[in-house]
Amino acid sequence: MIESAVIQLLQAVVVLVVSPFVIGLIRKVKAWLQCRQGPVLLQPYYDLAKLFQKEVVASSSTSWIFTATPYILFSSTLTASLLVPTFLSQVPLNFAGDIITVVYLLALGTFFLMLAGLDAGSAFGGMGSSREAIVAALTEPAMILSIFAVGLTAGSTNLSTIVHKMALSHGIMSDPPPHLLALAALFIVTLAETGRVPVDNPATHLELTMIHEAMILEYSGRYLALIEWAAALKLLLFLTLLSNIFFPWGIATVMTPFGMAVGTGVWFLKVSGLAVLISLIESMFAKLRLFRITELLGVAFILSLLSLVFYYILRVQS
Amino acid sequence: MSVALLILIFTPLMAGLLSLVMRNQRALERLQCLLAVVLWGAMTLVVSRVASGSYFSTGFLLRVDPLSAFMDLMLAFVGGTGLLYAVGYMGEKLIRGEMTLKHYGRFFFFFNFFLFAMLLTVNLDNIALMWISLESSTLAAALLVGFERTKSALEAGWKYVILSFIGIALSLFGTVLMYYASERVLGIGMEALSLEALYRVASLLNPAALKLAFIFALIGYGTKAGVVPMHTWLPDAHAEAPTPVSAILSGLMLNVGLYALLRFKSITDQALGESFAGPLVLGFGFLSLTVAAFFMLIQKDYKRLLAYSSIEHVGIAMIGFGVGGPLGVFGGFFHMIHHALVKSTAFYAAGGVLLRSGHKGIERVTGMLKRFPIAGIGLFLAAIGLAGMPPAGLFVSELLIATSSYRGNPVLTYLFLSLLILTFGALMYHIPRMVLGNTTEKDMPMSDRTRYFMTAAILINLAAMVYGGFYLPRFLQALTVPMTGIFGARIEFR
Amino acid sequence: MAHSDIGSQLVNICSMLLLVTTFAIVSQRRLSACVDLFALQSVFLAVTAALVAFLTGIHHIYVAALLTIVIKAIIIPLILKRVIERLNVTRELVLNINIPASLLICGGLVILALSVTQPIKELGFLLTKDSLAISLAIILIGFFTMISRRKAVTQVVGFLVVENGIFLGATAAAYGMPLIVELGVFFDVLVAALIIGIFTHRLQDTFDSVDVSKLTGMKE
Repeated sequence: MIESAVIQLLQAVVVLVVSPFVIGLIRKVKAWLQCRQGPVLLQPYYDLAKLFQKEVVASSSTSWIFTATPYILFSSTLTASLLVPTFLSQVPLNFAGDIITVVYLLALGTFFLMLAGLDAGSAFGGMGSSREAIVAALTEPAMILSIFAVGLTAGSTNLSTIVHKMALSHGIMSDPPPHLLALAALFIVTLAETGRVPVDNPATHLELTMIHEAMILEYSGRYLALIEWAAALKLLLFLTLLSNIFFPWGIATVMTPFGMAVGTGVWFLKVSGLAVLISLIESMFAKLRLFRITELLGVAFILSLLSLVFYYILRVQS
Repeated sequence: MSVALLILIFTPLMAGLLSLVMRNQRALERLQCLLAVVLWGAMTLVVSRVASGSYFSTGFLLRVDPLSAFMDLMLAFVGGTGLLYAVGYMGEKLIRGEMTLKHYGRFFFFFNFFLFAMLLTVNLDNIALMWISLESSTLAAALLVGFERTKSALEAGWKYVILSFIGIALSLFGTVLMYYASERVLGIGMEALSLEALYRVASLLNPAALKLAFIFALIGYGTKAGVVPMHTWLPDAHAEAPTPVSAILSGLMLNVGLYALLRFKSITDQALGESFAGPLVLGFGFLSLTVAAFFMLIQKDYKRLLAYSSIEHVGIAMIGFGVGGPLGVFGGFFHMIHHALVKSTAFYAAGGVLLRSGHKGIERVTGMLKRFPIAGIGLFLAAIGLAGMPPAGLFVSELLIATSSYRGNPVLTYLFLSLLILTFGALMYHIPRMVLGNTTEKDMPMSDRTRYFMTAAILINLAAMVYGGFYLPRFLQALTVPMTGIFGARIEFR
Repeated sequence: MAHSDIGSQLVNICSMLLLVTTFAIVSQRRLSACVDLFALQSVFLAVTAALVAFLTGIHHIYVAALLTIVIKAIIIPLILKRVIERLNVTRELVLNINIPASLLICGGLVILALSVTQPIKELGFLLTKDSLAISLAIILIGFFTMISRRKAVTQVVGFLVVENGIFLGATAAAYGMPLIVELGVFFDVLVAALIIGIFTHRLQDTFDSVDVSKLTGMKE
């Protein structure tokens, strides 16, 4: 019991510590690809530290939603991260919720963020919120369906069970046709949900294009720090999902200190690799026009739907 | 004897390559006439040999069975007159200055290559190589259709390229599926694609895979054969291609497409009986006949009229094969060869009309009998034949098909006959007006040599048409019995 | 997991990658990107063929893989790029059907392909059971691309995607056709691409456009 609690706590610490690093890594690799020096890898930590020390300025027209949102967002994202296996395939907290819980915890945070964007009454906030609503509405089904496709092979919707079973069999190799489609879909969802290029550009505050940045334009000080941290956590969560569901090799399947140490190292490498991939994509592609985003997300949805079809037609009937 | 086969197949290729380098009009034309004579000679040898009962092969790739010999007969005969006609028709264009000598040579290269590819297609024993060869003929045909480089010719050529590539790709997938089924039985390798081996083991092939393969081949090769609804390229291509090419497309290439389809059908029939492929072929045949019959009524361009008539006749032959039974299959084959003769005659004559009048409008052409007698007579007789009246053999074959379909389903027969009446009406409404009467139109001048070549081509075809309409030669009988046999419907002559 | 089992899943992954690139082509609006994606797809195809050759020990499939790389991943994309440059066609494609709808239709086509090939799946070699279904799906989507796009060059890309699908079917599902057949098919595809290129040039010269919807002179 105590052991489980310790492990869960450990996971919380690990994800909290690693998440800003992933952001820093993406920025650094992007800078390299653009032949720039770029900020140091630890810059996001410095940013967070500085923001936590700064005073909060809130518009007088805002309500309690504005104040509550950063806490809700941060805590819901952190809770969701705790349900996703990182270095150990079976998270002690897995009784608390399955993939649907994770999706809706994330949706809860997004929902409040959208409300907060509207709350201040500024033009940009509302614009960002409405755009975020479009993106969120389109990504959610694709995300759930793509994980379901893997869940069907594992026979469960519980993330821990899925990852455990995948780790014991062969990850994406255990049934490639549906899994590959699901992987492609989930990858597009990751880009959309975490506001990366080609859906959103985290590095710009150009009013015509921004989505995520528009919603948090009013925030400052420790509120902003919490929101930024939550965004980093969300990115890490998605990268973890991608790597552990489809490439679970190396994750600890039993609770031994050595296995978990190896699991942490491997997980860190996989996540860093995906982060490098994302920065490559950000350097190679331009951001899509807003109305083209629906097309991209349409692709994700169709792919995830097809992965289910593949599973049913090719596996169940025969 | 296999030398004759090699000569039959490869002389057109040689002649084509030679025409590409020749820069002398007389020599080029002599070469084409020589090629026609060589084709007829080699074909006679091959057909007489096969008719006497011995099939033969050269190595493992080429093999002549009665069906191949039958196609050789059709291809070489009509191909030969087509060459004579092409010399006349394209030579006139050269004399009129509508093309250069360089293009003249290039035309014959494509034309001869087209003949070569078709002859190769029907003599190959391997269904995948058959596909490749058929695809090559499509490529040559696409360049021939767009040869005149006018807007409408390019448009027709583009349509032909896209549609026939779709079709040909589907039939390749059908071939892959056939291989997929047969390599279970015959093992990986060339043998699993050999027609001979496929006939041998047909009953062991997986029925589901065979069905799927046949459906793909039906749609794919059906596109080549101009079967509705994949026919949309056909009227444009026939109307816009130079007339000798239209004659060959209509008389020969459609039949080669049908040949490939029939090869798949015969394998399927041997494995599954006629009940699977028959109704499908019958349905497409009726669809083609119906659509073509109605479109023929409203045509304003005589080459398009003849093109729709080709769709109609391919449909009729398919009805014959679809109905099946000895009479139906025999009627189908008989229809194929006679349609090749009659339709090429019709196009030869139509080309004469086109050269004389300079346009393709049915309404504006009159009095051809006076203006260009041989074209007038040829067009009239061919139209009578196409409408299904004696002396052409199409009368006999349509009667046979109607008879055999009556046994299965009388309603089909009534429908069939009423559609035939419709096409009869369409042809007899349009063509006599073009042939008879007087005209105020000015004639385009035409050189004597053109007249001679055209007359020769039309007369040879007409003679064969009348002869074949009254009399079934013994060699054709000898070929037909085993040909109907591969569909499991052996016909007997008493 | 046995050796051949891993191999079979690798082949499956590669064939799925072909299907995913097909979807990318359908959802792509830029002409040159379509050509790039086709080249990428051909690379995946070559990898699949090489895998099959390695796993089965049928060596002539290596030749086919090599030819795929040379002809479909290098030569034909180069030809198409040159055609695009010469024609100076606008980069955005003209579509008859908008992208989300086409995607849904393509999804339907995949389902169709899966159910059509279901009865004959058991006939396949253990190594490549799903490949036939996937290849049929690619073929159908290729046809759909040919129908739904109006620019001549995209119709060509559609045709080439169809060819890739057939080749995948031949290689993965049937362990490759005999070498002479494959050489013939390659040659034909190359000549076909050339002829289409010639036609596009002539269309451009005559119509000042490669928008096929301008070809409306003959309707009946």
